[in-house]
Amino acid sequence: MPYRSLREFLAKAEKEGQLVRFKEKVLPEPDIRAAACAAAKIPGGPVLLFEHIHGYADKQIAMNVHGSWPNHALMLDLEKETNLKSQFHELVRRWDRYPIPAKRVESAPLKEVILDKSPSLFRELPLFRVNPMDGGFYLAKACVVSKDPENPESQNVGIYRLQVKDHDRLGIQIGAHHDLAVHLRKAEELNMPLRVAIAISNDPVTSLVACSPLKYDEDEYAMMGAIRGEPTEVITSERGNLNLPAGAELVIEGEIIPRQRFVEGPFVEFTGYYSSSMIQAEIKVDLISRRSGPIIFENLYTGLPWNEIDYLMALNTSVTLFKQMKEEFPEIEAVNAMYTHGYCTIISSKMRFGGFAKTLGCRLLSTPHGITYPKLIIVVDEDIDPFDLQQVIWAITVRFRPERDLVTVPHAPGSTVDPAHLVRGLATKLIIDATKPVFPDIPMSDASIVELPPNLPFWIDKILKRMKGAK
Amino acid sequence: MICPRCDDGQACKIFDAPEDASWEVYRCPNCNFTWRSTEEEEVTNPKIYSPKFKLSQKKIQEMAPKPPIPPLRNSKQRK
Repeated sequence: MPYRSLREFLAKAEKEGQLVRFKEKVLPEPDIRAAACAAAKIPGGPVLLFEHIHGYADKQIAMNVHGSWPNHALMLDLEKETNLKSQFHELVRRWDRYPIPAKRVESAPLKEVILDKSPSLFRELPLFRVNPMDGGFYLAKACVVSKDPENPESQNVGIYRLQVKDHDRLGIQIGAHHDLAVHLRKAEELNMPLRVAIAISNDPVTSLVACSPLKYDEDEYAMMGAIRGEPTEVITSERGNLNLPAGAELVIEGEIIPRQRFVEGPFVEFTGYYSSSMIQAEIKVDLISRRSGPIIFENLYTGLPWNEIDYLMALNTSVTLFKQMKEEFPEIEAVNAMYTHGYCTIISSKMRFGGFAKTLGCRLLSTPHGITYPKLIIVVDEDIDPFDLQQVIWAITVRFRPERDLVTVPHAPGSTVDPAHLVRGLATKLIIDATKPVFPDIPMSDASIVELPPNLPFWIDKILKRMKGAK
Repeated sequence: MICPRCDDGQACKIFDAPEDASWEVYRCPNCNFTWRSTEEEEVTNPKIYSPKFKLSQKKIQEMAPKPPIPPLRNSKQRK
């Protein structure tokens, strides 16, 4: 059964042994960050639920919801032991069900309390500093809903980092390549505020799709429905006629102040580095709606990889790129964009003709995500599993010829939070063609690859049984 | 109150813990830094706050806007 809320998922995680509760009092800093970091470092790490935050007796915090492959599998309602490649192909299969449009509901727990007179973010949320030198307390996993000012039918749901700067002020980081930047640009050209609604603590598929690099005109809610296998429930915001995920614990409503920027950051990004302080857009909050009981605040720890964010943005990014590229190039077998949000992306494909790997590398760079993020692109043949780095490195060592197979695209658009940048927002892309050369390229004529023994599976099975003591 | 990050003197308390007066939260109106009284001294003490993360007025004035602010649609200042 798909989960309609974070609470339903937490119940499932607990039943499956993937949730650890802390009933004892914990400090907002440094306990939450240290525990969340630890959970993601443990193979198969659990969800953490803190039930008593020092100073916030009536609130709970959930961390590491997506932070392991078992948690990721449970999100997809799969057996928690489901391996990575199987989860990738299951996501691909569900992607093909797009679109399953959202279903509108008239009531939801998040409307039980409406605070429209001087709402306070500090009072309503158990805030904490994610990393010591962050510029403030951040909401790192909240889903921001906005719509195109000129085409209200076009709405976007995305995860953007939000810095709580005051009771009613939120800094927001919007990259120029993000969909929300298009909405903001149009509003600012007209000198109009842009209404936004921010959904806190959602079911895990909502977060997964919100941070997937879909095309501008693709509907995140219809993709959530496709992944879930049934329509996602949405409810209308109090102001601005925005569609909210109905399962959220709490929603913040407000507007982005037009044509002004304010000091924001730093904040540790998915790179494992603090991003610089910059002047960024700001939201004036005017309403908060929430459940009436004690809320659960879900947040994201971002630290030295791997952490929850690496799991959260791994397969959704990979599958999105795979589907977008496969439309033109059906030869593609799989795409692995799991490393540093796709800074390194590995494409596995059949080869049409010599040089084709370079075509694929260039196509990646013209996808919405590929425009900025990938800077190390490795193309391998279809016999290489791009999720198996031992195989990928082997392919590079025996098939890659630097004098012919290395392409650089200098000074191309780059990620603005890349710590290796010389000019912020520009990066040199590197394509490594680690495929076997085929006609009209010069083939490796005297090279003969060895084949695996045909009865290998039999012997693997036999050895494993002996290791377990079976007869 | 001195802001640990930019040393501005206008920082002030903006929130008390809802439970047992466990801590206070402070805010600097100059650089938007916020901190909790119970955090590590490296975060709350202006004298030992990391120089690498300190913000001066010069640094703030040199910051580029993200995302860039577009020209007004009906602006007559177009070139």
